[in-house]
Amino acid sequence: MLKRLQSRTLIPTQIAGYAATLLVGVTIVMLSVQLYADIRPVLTQQTDVFRNHAVTLNKTVSTLSNLNRESLYFDDDEIAAIQGQPFVKNVARFRSSSFEAYASIALGQQALRTDLFFESIPEDYIDVRSDQWHWTTDSTFVPIIIPEDYLNLYNFGFAESQALPVISQSAIEQVAFTLRLTGHGRQRTFQGRIVGFSGKINTILVPESFLLWANQEFGEVNGENTSRLLVEFSDASDPRIPTFIEGHGYNIKQDELENSKMVFFFRLAIVFVIVVALIIILLSVAFIIMSLNVIVQKNRDLFTNLYNIGYSPRQIARYYQRMVSIITVVDILIAVAVAVAIRGIYLEELSRIFEIEGDMSPILLSAAMLIVVLVLAYNYIILRTIRTTVEPKKRTN
Amino acid sequence: MTIELKNLKPRYMSESEVAGSDIYLQPSVLFEQGKKYMVCARSGHGKTSLLNFIYGSNLNYDGQILYHSPALPSTPQHSSALPFSLRLRHLSYLFQDLSLFPELTALENVQIKNSLTGHKSESDIEAMLDSVLPSDKKHQPLRTLSLGQRQRVAAVRALCQPFEFLLMDEPFSHLDSETAVQVAAMTLREVDAQGAALIVTALEPTDLFPFDTTLNL
Repeated sequence: MLKRLQSRTLIPTQIAGYAATLLVGVTIVMLSVQLYADIRPVLTQQTDVFRNHAVTLNKTVSTLSNLNRESLYFDDDEIAAIQGQPFVKNVARFRSSSFEAYASIALGQQALRTDLFFESIPEDYIDVRSDQWHWTTDSTFVPIIIPEDYLNLYNFGFAESQALPVISQSAIEQVAFTLRLTGHGRQRTFQGRIVGFSGKINTILVPESFLLWANQEFGEVNGENTSRLLVEFSDASDPRIPTFIEGHGYNIKQDELENSKMVFFFRLAIVFVIVVALIIILLSVAFIIMSLNVIVQKNRDLFTNLYNIGYSPRQIARYYQRMVSIITVVDILIAVAVAVAIRGIYLEELSRIFEIEGDMSPILLSAAMLIVVLVLAYNYIILRTIRTTVEPKKRTN
Repeated sequence: MTIELKNLKPRYMSESEVAGSDIYLQPSVLFEQGKKYMVCARSGHGKTSLLNFIYGSNLNYDGQILYHSPALPSTPQHSSALPFSLRLRHLSYLFQDLSLFPELTALENVQIKNSLTGHKSESDIEAMLDSVLPSDKKHQPLRTLSLGQRQRVAAVRALCQPFEFLLMDEPFSHLDSETAVQVAAMTLREVDAQGAALIVTALEPTDLFPFDTTLNL
């Protein structure tokens, strides 16, 4: 009976208006959050054997550097200063070989032979399968990572001009070659194989444990100079990074930062869309609250009568609390369905180019959050409005 | 339950307006359960205000209203929420403006109140309505009833809950003497059955109820 009395007080067009605007706002918020979660991994994806956000840092080579090599080295204080920056997560040194090494490979009757140098960085930064990137003093196999550019140079330059076959990365990874290290009048032979390619670091990498051991066995001990650092940023799109790099005359491989710029603008765009959608949601919330206020003002007598015969504000408010809560929840669930459907469409497009992993938890999570926040807010606001309307007030003159 | 009024005065009335009152500005006025009180005054002397003060629907008074009873809800005496918490079990009120719902039928108007406590059965309610209304009226929307008929519906509604005090604000103002007698008899049965107190306001003294005390405002 109470329900029948109160259902007449609702204004259907206003409720429909609320439901429609809320639907639009919530759908956009959920889609933006989902899109961000879907696309971000693609933009920051690991296409390299090096960990995300890790870039090589060196000092800019100038004419003066020709005369003074020392000026290219990082001293301990400088490394500590870089490590101390708030946007830097980790700094690692490159170690280089101080022994002679050459690789040879038998091709039929002939043998190809080349001199080599090696560098190493801590294992943490390398993302090839850990059972491959591993060396102990009794192993005769040495895994090697070479720059992607070497292969490109061969495939698109040398092989092209000499009419030689092109070689794929996986084909190269099958080829084993002989590695000979000499120094201190000793020599030793290892099996070498390329296990990965890097587009970010232009050097030939071996496991750090191997390099340390070989430097000691065959190398000339003349102290270690660090001319290149591997820097890992906590957020590579941090705007303070370029300022810091330039201010200290450092040089960084730009690709990573270019990519980070894109991520930065993408994030900016998504944030902008989310803010607009949140404003739409806020407007719809303001609209339904105004509508409820109109209902309360129009039916002040009804509510006061109910209060007078013993209905508590809680009992009077319950119908409106339930009504608005149900409409909101159903509306958001519809928005979830719409957002999931639209995601299906854009995933179909995107998955032709990228590999997209990830689930719909951003949609579901934002839906759950919106439901909790809105329902709690409505229940509180409705009860308070009814209470202030029906309860007698003490005038203070 | 006993209701005690101490130095009560409506804020919107001057001391000279309430001079000579048996209730307003008296150090202590007691209303005891089981007794019947008539409060007489001319228009504009604060009859409705007095009942609203006791019922808690008007808080604009100076002085104190105390509700003495061991069985009261635990709400503290000074809280303005106390009178509201008494509405379901201790206080019932026949409003002068009736406070009915015109969209509902006569029967529904009573049911909506009775459903709060389930005090009366469905057949009791219908019997009570039939005793004071033409029987075809109880299923008609209230807005089609005359003012006198509505007043009777409001009277029935006021009886459909447990109470220790029944407040009636000019209950017979729109009734002819014959109907007034019917309504009074029905009211009296319920008040006596519940062992409750009755406070009736009126413009002129009336003998429809056997009053124990008559107070002039």
